[in-house]
Amino acid sequence: MQFPPSGCATIFQGFDWATSPLGPQSGWPPELKTLTSVMLGSLQPMLIVWGPEQTTLYNDGYAAMCGNRHPAAFGGSFQSLWHDIWDQVEPIISAAYAGQGTSMDDIEFTMHRNGYPEETHFAFSYTPVRDPWGSVLGMFCACTETTSEVRARRVQDDLKERFMQVFELSQGGIAMLVGKDHVFEYANEEYYSMIGVGREIIGKTVAEAVPEVIRQGFIGILDGVFATGDPFVAKNLPVKLNRGPEGEEQNRLIDLVYQPTRSAEGCITGILVQARDVTVLRAEEKHRELLAYELGHRLKNQLAMVQAIASQTLRYAPDMQTARTNLSDRIAVLSRSHDAIIEGGTGHSRVGDLVGQMTAIHDNPDHPRIFVAGPNMTVGSRPALSLSLILHELATNAVKYGALSRPDGSVTLTWRVGGPYRDRFKLDWKETGGPRVAKPEKEGTGSRLIRAGLNGTAECQLSINYEADGLRFSISADLAGFQKEH
Amino acid sequence: MAVSTTGPLLIVEDDGLIRMDLADTLQDAGYAVLEAANADEAWAILLETDVSALITDIDMPGSMDGLELARRVCDRWPDCQIIVISGRYNPEASTLPPDAIFLTKPVGETELFKALEARGLAV
Repeated sequence: MQFPPSGCATIFQGFDWATSPLGPQSGWPPELKTLTSVMLGSLQPMLIVWGPEQTTLYNDGYAAMCGNRHPAAFGGSFQSLWHDIWDQVEPIISAAYAGQGTSMDDIEFTMHRNGYPEETHFAFSYTPVRDPWGSVLGMFCACTETTSEVRARRVQDDLKERFMQVFELSQGGIAMLVGKDHVFEYANEEYYSMIGVGREIIGKTVAEAVPEVIRQGFIGILDGVFATGDPFVAKNLPVKLNRGPEGEEQNRLIDLVYQPTRSAEGCITGILVQARDVTVLRAEEKHRELLAYELGHRLKNQLAMVQAIASQTLRYAPDMQTARTNLSDRIAVLSRSHDAIIEGGTGHSRVGDLVGQMTAIHDNPDHPRIFVAGPNMTVGSRPALSLSLILHELATNAVKYGALSRPDGSVTLTWRVGGPYRDRFKLDWKETGGPRVAKPEKEGTGSRLIRAGLNGTAECQLSINYEADGLRFSISADLAGFQKEH
Repeated sequence: MAVSTTGPLLIVEDDGLIRMDLADTLQDAGYAVLEAANADEAWAILLETDVSALITDIDMPGSMDGLELARRVCDRWPDCQIIVISGRYNPEASTLPPDAIFLTKPVGETELFKALEARGLAV
């Protein structure tokens, strides 16, 4: 036999077949001779395993799969060629010898045919070869390389996988519907959490899987998108979904897109659903708007208070210098009181903190003369500003004209929750050891500001008594208004 | 001090300091002024006294707010002029009685006197 010059054909011709289990070529059965001729002449990888010893013959195409086992494997036993994967190869070669063919779609080999290690894929078909009487003489195998198909499929799979990863990580719900009845093919986790975790939807139509949307008109919209190919886009769409823990209905707001998907030919095959539950988002936006509104309102009220204080200070001031000093001190008091409101965190400050701010300015810690006692109870921000101002005016008056104008004078400041129903805030200011006091003939700004009372309380009683041994002042206001955050 | 030819103005404002200063401002300008800390107090005064104008805050404790008071006053005393002042609300015209004037808190003196003059209540 003459063959085109190639590695395997040369080896075949130079092989000492007489010493092999196959014996000299002259004694070979016609089946073996024919197959050998076909094999060595084919560019397709081919393999023959022959006789009870499973002697192995192959062509150059197959030799490439054998790697460095070739050429030693040529003419040897099939088991010695594939000894390392024999547990996988043995059943199929035994099946072929028992008369049963096997085909394998995708076997992976690392080949060096291009000078570097390369992943390749082949489809195999093991075919038993029989003599005219039906006995199996050996096995013939033709291989088809599928590397490029496998690669193309893998690229496609990778792409799909990547899309799925993107879908899974998407912050919005994504579902793919196929067909005119809108059958769920895929849905990401976010989509499930939107419609209600644990609902089974894949393989079902939208009408079956999420029946509560039928009467809300969504099937009609899907039908329209499928029929016309026009996408549907909506924001802040109210929808009722049976997504509660017990499958109960909940009202949600969603941003929704229905986008038709098309085949390569351009026919509409389904609908890509993108949906985002914006219920919480919209609620937060509303809350932020409310906060901004509330902030604006407080600012306006505080400016109105500053306006009134400035106006009162200027109206009754004896001279400009006094007016300037008093106004600047009063605004500073409001500012400090505001610090306490902010530090109160939830918008509440505490009476003890406001009293502390007053004593820090008007008392000497090394020689205290303002004695304070009372619970550090909360006070709403509007009454807090008034209370700070009242304490400031009392202290300023005491330093100028009252008990604190004498070295031995002192003030006792106490406050508590009182009244028969314990629904009153009560505060007492008592001065002792000061000069004799009497009601001034002309009311000054300070006592006017005190008389304005506690802002925000519904009912506030004040009393100022000029007793011989010192001034007495007391407040009694409704506790609810005093502590309410306006 | 000028003497007002109009009847008294009723100031309804729960913030004592702001009410006090508004009263001072109007009295200095020559108006006669009555004061109420909430709408219920105001209503009691209105039942006793003829008032030329109601100047009211909106957000106040009590059985009704300033808007409700303004609507009731407009119904019962159509001749009484109404000025609504608030920092909280910027009410739709529809929630205010017809011809009522809305001013934003804090109100400037000039703005306040202009509003009174516009309603024929110049001193």
